[in-house]
Amino acid sequence: MAVLLRRLAGHVARGFVMILVVTTISFLIIRSVPGDPLAARYQKLVEQGMAPDAAQRAVEALYGFTPKGGLWEQYLDYMGGLAHLDLGQSLSVPGAGVSTVLFSAAKWTVIPVLAGTLLSFLVGVVMGVYAAIKRTGVLGDLLAISGSLLHGVPQYVLALLLGAIFTTLVPILPAGGTADIMIDPGFTADYIGSLVQHATLPVVTYALAGYGGWILAMKSSVVTVLGDDFILAAELRGMKRSIVFRYLARNAILPLFTILALSLGLLFGGAIFIERIFNYPGLGLMLIDSINNRDYSLMGGAFLLITTAVVVANIAADLLYTVIDPRVRSGGEAA
Amino acid sequence: MAPEQSPPGVRIRGLTVVYRTPAGELPAVSGVDLDLAPGTITGVVGESGSGKSTLALSLLNAVQPPGRIAAGSVEIDGLGDVVALGGEGLRRARGRHVGYVFQAAQNSLNPLKTVGKQVLDLGRSHGVENPRGLLADARDLLGRMGLDGARVLDSYQHELSGGMRQRVGIMLALVLNARLVVLDEPTTALDMITQATILRIVREVHAERGLTTLVITHDLGVVAEVADRLAVMYGGRVAEQGPTREVLAEPRHPYTRGLLGAIPRLVGDIGEAHALPGRPPTLADIPADGCVFRERCPLRMDVCETGRPPVVVSVSRSAACHAVRDDDGGRPAVAAATGEEQA
Ligand SMILES: Nc1ncnc2c1ncn2[C@@H]1O[C@H](COP(=O)(O)OP(=O)(O)OP(=O)(O)O)[C@@H](O)[C@H]1O
Ligand code: SF4
Ligand SMILES: [Mg+2]
Repeated sequence: MAVLLRRLAGHVARGFVMILVVTTISFLIIRSVPGDPLAARYQKLVEQGMAPDAAQRAVEALYGFTPKGGLWEQYLDYMGGLAHLDLGQSLSVPGAGVSTVLFSAAKWTVIPVLAGTLLSFLVGVVMGVYAAIKRTGVLGDLLAISGSLLHGVPQYVLALLLGAIFTTLVPILPAGGTADIMIDPGFTADYIGSLVQHATLPVVTYALAGYGGWILAMKSSVVTVLGDDFILAAELRGMKRSIVFRYLARNAILPLFTILALSLGLLFGGAIFIERIFNYPGLGLMLIDSINNRDYSLMGGAFLLITTAVVVANIAADLLYTVIDPRVRSGGEAA
Repeated sequence: MAPEQSPPGVRIRGLTVVYRTPAGELPAVSGVDLDLAPGTITGVVGESGSGKSTLALSLLNAVQPPGRIAAGSVEIDGLGDVVALGGEGLRRARGRHVGYVFQAAQNSLNPLKTVGKQVLDLGRSHGVENPRGLLADARDLLGRMGLDGARVLDSYQHELSGGMRQRVGIMLALVLNARLVVLDEPTTALDMITQATILRIVREVHAERGLTTLVITHDLGVVAEVADRLAVMYGGRVAEQGPTREVLAEPRHPYTRGLLGAIPRLVGDIGEAHALPGRPPTLADIPADGCVFRERCPLRMDVCETGRPPVVVSVSRSAACHAVRDDDGGRPAVAAATGEEQA
């Protein structure tokens, strides 16, 4: 237990530093990008024929604030806000807090990413075990080749391909959005069906993109464990096949949990391209919109959220590892 | 606790085990005949690569790919020919009838489970109806070997020292009441004191439970310590076998003599130890015909190039060598000449 707490404390401290660094960097980058959204808005209102000071007041009323002071002051302001979990006001969605915008977009990313990754993890791991055990046969070769091929194709190429096939060539899936706008949201079969239909392409893309990596990683992990003495020892003791298999699987899957948690964190970044291609309004699409709109508070919030996801994933991976691996738990040798 | 019936005997006949290599299938064990008499400890000794582990695994029909048993039989009382066994029948025989103890330094336990949980897995695999009883047996056995049984059952592998792991290995080989036990290098990589402890345990447990035991080692000292009978292996063949005392006191095969001569005595002049010249053969350069030892043999003759050495039997001993005659009690015919050569 003490080991667990010590590790947790270490992670939280490191995560905190990481978040601080990322926020600072994103703050600096975003503020040094030319173009002021408030000025742009003001310009637009004036062009539409509004009197200059009326336009100025309208802009201030719209956003509730205007950035003022030097860079350092703005930085302190921003960090101070963060400390109170106040991410500021969105500049492109008038009147809305950054956190509100972020969290309404987040669910459209988190759920598909999670579903896709877990799906590919499960299928990939099972196939990886199979590929390892049958590695001298044709089936094993085919599985390994399918893994290498899929692993080599970039995610966005997969997305473009799937999109072209299922929305254009054989148009059986919707091309964008989260649900059919003609269906009233609610806990109805129609609406849920439509949600699933719309989520299918992103989820399948995440799953296919991850599958190759999982099958390869699991295969090599299983092959390594197969060569370990304790597997032969278990067989020589006449252990049942199912028990030997469990020994094998549990030991082989262990290192994959770290990758799983990390890839979950990283996938939020990958979601940018996928959501763009499928026009799926998650965090990624929101981030692109915020960049187009020069909405830097929203951008900063999105970066912060992605960083936090990675950090949290890291901690989750380690805690999971600690729970499963007695060698880590007792703080002993990690042989 | 130990069942009443007598310990099993083992008869190995014409055992040949080959490994698939780029150069084709090569024999690591070739035409081995060996008996394990019921209730005895047999030691198999030989240099690295002589085929000891391959022989040991053959007793459980567990030679690992790319190897396979190409010919011969391993008859175990109560089991029949294990070479003919397969599938569930073979699995049940392992652990239940034949216990196998891994080399001490090897990690023969699942690192993610406690010893106790693995004992339970073993019980489940062999249909043991009383898991509590099995755990109690395991605890007793560990206690018998000088460990705190309850604590060890609650431990993971990484929490145990080499000597403790080895005792856990012995416990796992015996807890299902196997009467035939194979120990492959039971003391290698242990410190001297732990080695002595493990050997004492092997001897005592062997006697208490009425076992037939096979000890594989590269260390003549280990064999001298525990074995009733001794088989010396070289290049996949048995060079010489017989009662340990007799073979050590009066070795017949030039290889056995070389091995003995290579041991520095604790008392006596270190200069008296002569290392065997040359190296043991690897699979690729074991000669197919003639004597496998000839490259290093001081008694090498013309016939050794082509003729497989005859097995010369006298009473309870045998040696496979052209130079050994049975009419003079098995002494090498040119033993005198060797003495001069080495002097
Ligand atoms: N999987 C394998 N593939 C090819 N050759 C093998 C394999 N396993 C063993 N051999 C060869 O078979 C021969 C006998 O090996 P074995 O392990 O039985 O020897 P050993 O007497 O136990 O040696 P050691 O003292 O090193 O354990 C060696 O020459 C070895 O190289
Ligand atoms: S058969 Fe010949 S080479 Fe082989 S050990 Fe005997 S004398 Fe030496
Ligand atoms: Mg060996």
